[in-house]
Amino acid sequence: MTQLLNRLVMFVVLLLVQVLVLNHVWLLNVATPLLYVYFAITFPRNTAKGEVLVWCFFLGLFIDIFSNTPGLAAGTLTLIGMGQTYLLELFVPRDSVENLETSAATLGWGKFSMLSGILALAYCLVFFILEAFNFFDWQLWLLRAVCSAALTLVLMLAIESVRSK
Amino acid sequence: MRNLLDFLKDYYHWLLFVFLEVVSGFLLFQYNSYQGSVWFSSANHVTGQIYDWTSSATKFFTLSEVNEQLTRRNLLLEQQVEMLGRRYVALTHDSTAQERSEMQFLNQYELIPAKVVDNSLNSKENLITIDKGSADGVAVDMGVACGSGVVGVVYLVSSHYSVVIPVLNATSSRISCAIRNRGSFGYLHWNGGDPSVAYVEDVPRHAKFKLGEWVVTSGFSSIFPAGVSVGKIEQAYNSRDGLSYKLMIRLSTDFTNLRDVVVISDKSIAERAALLQAARDSISSK
Repeated sequence: MTQLLNRLVMFVVLLLVQVLVLNHVWLLNVATPLLYVYFAITFPRNTAKGEVLVWCFFLGLFIDIFSNTPGLAAGTLTLIGMGQTYLLELFVPRDSVENLETSAATLGWGKFSMLSGILALAYCLVFFILEAFNFFDWQLWLLRAVCSAALTLVLMLAIESVRSK
Repeated sequence: MRNLLDFLKDYYHWLLFVFLEVVSGFLLFQYNSYQGSVWFSSANHVTGQIYDWTSSATKFFTLSEVNEQLTRRNLLLEQQVEMLGRRYVALTHDSTAQERSEMQFLNQYELIPAKVVDNSLNSKENLITIDKGSADGVAVDMGVACGSGVVGVVYLVSSHYSVVIPVLNATSSRISCAIRNRGSFGYLHWNGGDPSVAYVEDVPRHAKFKLGEWVVTSGFSSIFPAGVSVGKIEQAYNSRDGLSYKLMIRLSTDFTNLRDVVVISDKSIAERAALLQAARDSISSK
């Protein structure tokens, strides 16, 4: 029950932070932090895959509704949610508990950064290619995706370091 | 049967995954032809309301700058009106004719003041949400301008909010514009990237202009009246096929700091559109 409540609070906070603040950030004309990926990354280990997908889809959809891009974030975040459930298995220590929390404190900083780095980069690559929808300028696309992913990762690690205290 | 159920139990998340992706894909591809529904855009009531609150909170921080801009612009326009008025009277020796023609111009257009509640800059297809809708007289395809120049065209309308396609929308925005005092015209197009630079395409080869001259709306499209500022010519290039010029324009509207806009409602639009349609029908029936 508390877990559900936690998720719900996180959902609303990430949604509002993204649409009211971060969507307007555009560092050096290339990087926009897409912090809501953090939502998909932090699902605990034993969460049912279907549950992860539904959560991710709806967070994406709400973000889409606010930023006038229906289907874009919803589709991409669902994909990343799916990826998280499989990728996480590669990162958890062998003798860990079933319902392991996904955080820097339980996985260790190195593994957590690696996991979130991969997922954030994958998210940004898919997101920006769907947004442009053709390779009109693949260098700009790559630059935007990599810079945005880096910025997102920095923000996520910042939040982790606060939460792990 | 049992095997089937087991299979579904183990792999239902893949079915769910495919289903959700199909829904997203459907939304993604349908949106452009989705004129009828404002549900999945920021024109719906809830999102509009939330944007409204935040913009009224952030408004205070940029108010002084916007004010200053408007004052400067006002001053410039006042001087211009003064100068033109003097010239006009000198030429026609009739001081009431000018007043009459001004009144006529203002009667033709109705200006609906609106506030921008959401504005994006970092995509290739930016959209703006404003806080006036069909209840205030806004309709699809009306022009939107602000104190310093042209902003865009209304795209979706709900009862109290509207979504505007601004100049900064690389795929959908084509505004007809002309070089001030010269008459040659072209289409305003933005390529993404810098929100203060756009291009005027299809300017004929025989057009005469100088760098630094103003580009204004042409008034051909009946969306904007003629003469609304667009920007200054910064550079001129040959088009790819060499048949026309492509002008690089420094936009006069500051899209990064957009608050107060007006929706321009032209009462003669319906009449003009009907006439154009009648003309098209009569050509196609021949």
